[in-house]
Amino acid sequence: MAGAWSATSNWGCTMFSSIEFFIIEAIRSFRRSPLMNFVAIATITVSLAIFGVFLLLIINMGNVVGNVSSRLDLAAYTQKDLSLDDAAAIQIRLSKIPGVEKVVYISKAEAWKKLKDDFGEKLSLDLIINDNPLPHTFTIQVRNPDLLSDVAKQVAKVEAVDEVRYSGKLINQMKSLVSAVRVGGISLIVLLSLATLLIVVNTIRLTVIARETDIYIMKLVGATNNFVKWPFIIEGILIGVIGGVSSAFILKFSYEAVAARMMVALPFLPIITDFGLLTLIYILVVIGGTALGMLGGYISVSKVLKNEA
Amino acid sequence: MIELINVSKSYPNGIGALYNINLHIGKEEFVFLVGSSGAGKTTLLKLLYREEKPNEGKVVVDRVNIAELDLTQVPYLRRNIGVVFQDFKLLSRMTVYENVAFALRVTGAPRSTIRRKAMQALELVGMLRRVNAFPDELSGGEKQRVCIARAIVNNPPILLADEPTGNLDPSTTWDILQLLDKINKRNTTVVIATHNKNIVDEMKKRVVELDGGRLVRDQQLGMYHVQ
Repeated sequence: MAGAWSATSNWGCTMFSSIEFFIIEAIRSFRRSPLMNFVAIATITVSLAIFGVFLLLIINMGNVVGNVSSRLDLAAYTQKDLSLDDAAAIQIRLSKIPGVEKVVYISKAEAWKKLKDDFGEKLSLDLIINDNPLPHTFTIQVRNPDLLSDVAKQVAKVEAVDEVRYSGKLINQMKSLVSAVRVGGISLIVLLSLATLLIVVNTIRLTVIARETDIYIMKLVGATNNFVKWPFIIEGILIGVIGGVSSAFILKFSYEAVAARMMVALPFLPIITDFGLLTLIYILVVIGGTALGMLGGYISVSKVLKNEA
Repeated sequence: MIELINVSKSYPNGIGALYNINLHIGKEEFVFLVGSSGAGKTTLLKLLYREEKPNEGKVVVDRVNIAELDLTQVPYLRRNIGVVFQDFKLLSRMTVYENVAFALRVTGAPRSTIRRKAMQALELVGMLRRVNAFPDELSGGEKQRVCIARAIVNNPPILLADEPTGNLDPSTTWDILQLLDKINKRNTTVVIATHNKNIVDEMKKRVVELDGGRLVRDQQLGMYHVQ
């Protein structure tokens, strides 16, 4: 390679003086086929909105599970006769089990009194049952909800304890529901992204085909493949950004409306309203749209240019 | 400047286009490539700007065998070879100025340089008055002038023209020929493929004749037909 013309490319320079040209070309091309571009934008908007819905759903469900399990504790029961000293000894033993945060003792008598107070004047339990049927109860708070089942096993080993109860099953069911939604959501998002990509690729492919002669001429006068590609990639980015931003707005307003209603209807559910986290999700949606559009533009023009000089 | 050594070219459909061509064209020469339609003139030119690759032989342009040129280097070759086409090949969505500027834009030239050089080239071909017109608004002769301006705007050492007057009337043909001669005198090697007998006979330049893909004549100060 010794010829005078075999000069190396001057990339930095090419980029700066050409960006304006690329953008103008992209906008020109974008304007030329408004209907196709609208379809591509609408497709991106819808698939990103579904992506956003799943993301919000997964995050909220995770939040609910975390919230519920953090409030869960164990209860250990015994019907044995316990002196106050016995009870104190058991309480200390339970406290020493790894993972246990706090142990509260409620005696048989206390529990009976509390139950009777709850029923109050409406019904006198003493008339129905002579003997106090309730057990002594140790309520055990666990440091981390994941430790619940381990702690429960340890508690059951304590001699005086007859029975251990906790809502481990509920937690596990909720966790498997969350992971099912997550797996379903991710598969759906992957499928939708592929479908969206295909539509963007075909939209821009039409432009590329319509301009095949132009591309051929451009290359005859010395345009590199990259130079020819950029306007199409920018056109893809344009489609993606518009789709992403529309989707983010749709998500924002619908989420706010749904969240407000949920908070009234199901006040005990911890709905996420953290501004930072939600903004991050909306930004993610816009970035997703941009990436889809850019990739679509790149693929559609690369196929045409692949085998040509 | 240009050298073809034992070059043969056939197309994938089996039709032969060129057979064992040996040709040397020196710096700043003015050469007419003549022969009837299908003689291989266009194929020979296409080999020079690497739109086609030979099946055999070497195509040397400025000391480089472009038959083996890497695809990524082809754009840089083309920036140094101006090509004028019979059908002009102007970008219809761009104005006259933008068409000429485009050949500079692809090189990454700064904006001020693009403007200055494009205007100089348009002045040389006499098209300054029509810079904002679109190709569809121009006559054949005007389109060819724009095409020539685009071909020379990078100051290439070589200018190739494939039937540059094929679509033009006689008086316009003469204007374009004068222009190409002027460009040749500005130290540019010019190769013109044509089957226009009148211009070849009038200009009295070197004549290379192809017949059925074979080089049958190479004559200084030649005429279209053997005298």
